[in-house]
Amino acid sequence: MKKNAKKIILIIIIAVIAVVTVMGYLMWNKPHKNVKDTAGVKITAAELYNSFITDSAKARALYTGKVVEVSGEIIKMALNQQQQQIIFLKTAAEGAYINCTMEEKAEGHKIGDILMIKGICSGYMSGDADMGLPGDVIIVRGYHAD
Amino acid sequence: MKKIFILLILTGSFYSGCLAQVYFTKNGRVSFFSSTPLEDIKADNNQAISILNTSSGELQFSLLNNAFHFKKALMEEHFNADYIESAKYPKSTFKGTIANISSVNLNTDGVYKVIVSGNLDIHGVTKAISVPGTITVRSGSISANSVFKVKVKDYNISIPAAVRNNIADDIEITISCNYEKK
Repeated sequence: MKKNAKKIILIIIIAVIAVVTVMGYLMWNKPHKNVKDTAGVKITAAELYNSFITDSAKARALYTGKVVEVSGEIIKMALNQQQQQIIFLKTAAEGAYINCTMEEKAEGHKIGDILMIKGICSGYMSGDADMGLPGDVIIVRGYHAD
Repeated sequence: MKKIFILLILTGSFYSGCLAQVYFTKNGRVSFFSSTPLEDIKADNNQAISILNTSSGELQFSLLNNAFHFKKALMEEHFNADYIESAKYPKSTFKGTIANISSVNLNTDGVYKVIVSGNLDIHGVTKAISVPGTITVRSGSISANSVFKVKVKDYNISIPAAVRNNIADDIEITISCNYEKK
């Protein structure tokens, strides 16, 4: 009887260790949020920018860290230093953009095209008023969402 | 009347000259790297705003902490929630001056060594730093690079005992910006 109890306790301990190890491994290697297949908040570039300018606290609560689907006119395109595509969507404020770093290159688009980009909104990055440089709303891990 | 006219022209030239000396990027790259025997941790932020005034040598950076991207999602979560506390301290900034900006000749291609001094604000703590860097001039384009180290404890970032050996005391920061003319 004592031998059986010892065996059961040993099995339980091994099982607990195995479960904890597997859970730890899965947690450690859990993938990043699947932006591509997550439904985002639909909003225009002008509305998104305006919301951060008019009520930043409310905008942060609504959009920061969330998946958004922003539509707007491409005003500029570039590559960053990691060769990721950056698409700038026009807003109502001159020189202020929705600054989208793309996870997956949006092919076949040109300046002036209307595009919807799905990505994670990092928030509003202020510029410098004294230097006449407006800030941008930052979108990371962007995908073409049309 | 003639004097006023000349003065206006000179003032206008000086003003436009000053304007022409401002360079900026909205997609500067700031990376950090922590290396310990247990693991290496690296993260990149490609959305740093930087403004460089080549007349005065003023240089500034700002970035959103939550835009740092890590290889592992769990690291990114801990960085934002527990270490840098992105919700409470959304931005990191630097404001300073290139002391020897006069040694940079914007009309001659080359790699110019510079010393940048100023205030680095991370996690709500502002520290004066002075770091080496380079300004590269190539066919009228300007880029800036710097690699330096900061101490985690200087910025009041607490690391839980369970992972203290996984995170280095000194974090290497790498800055790389390609500027365009304002």
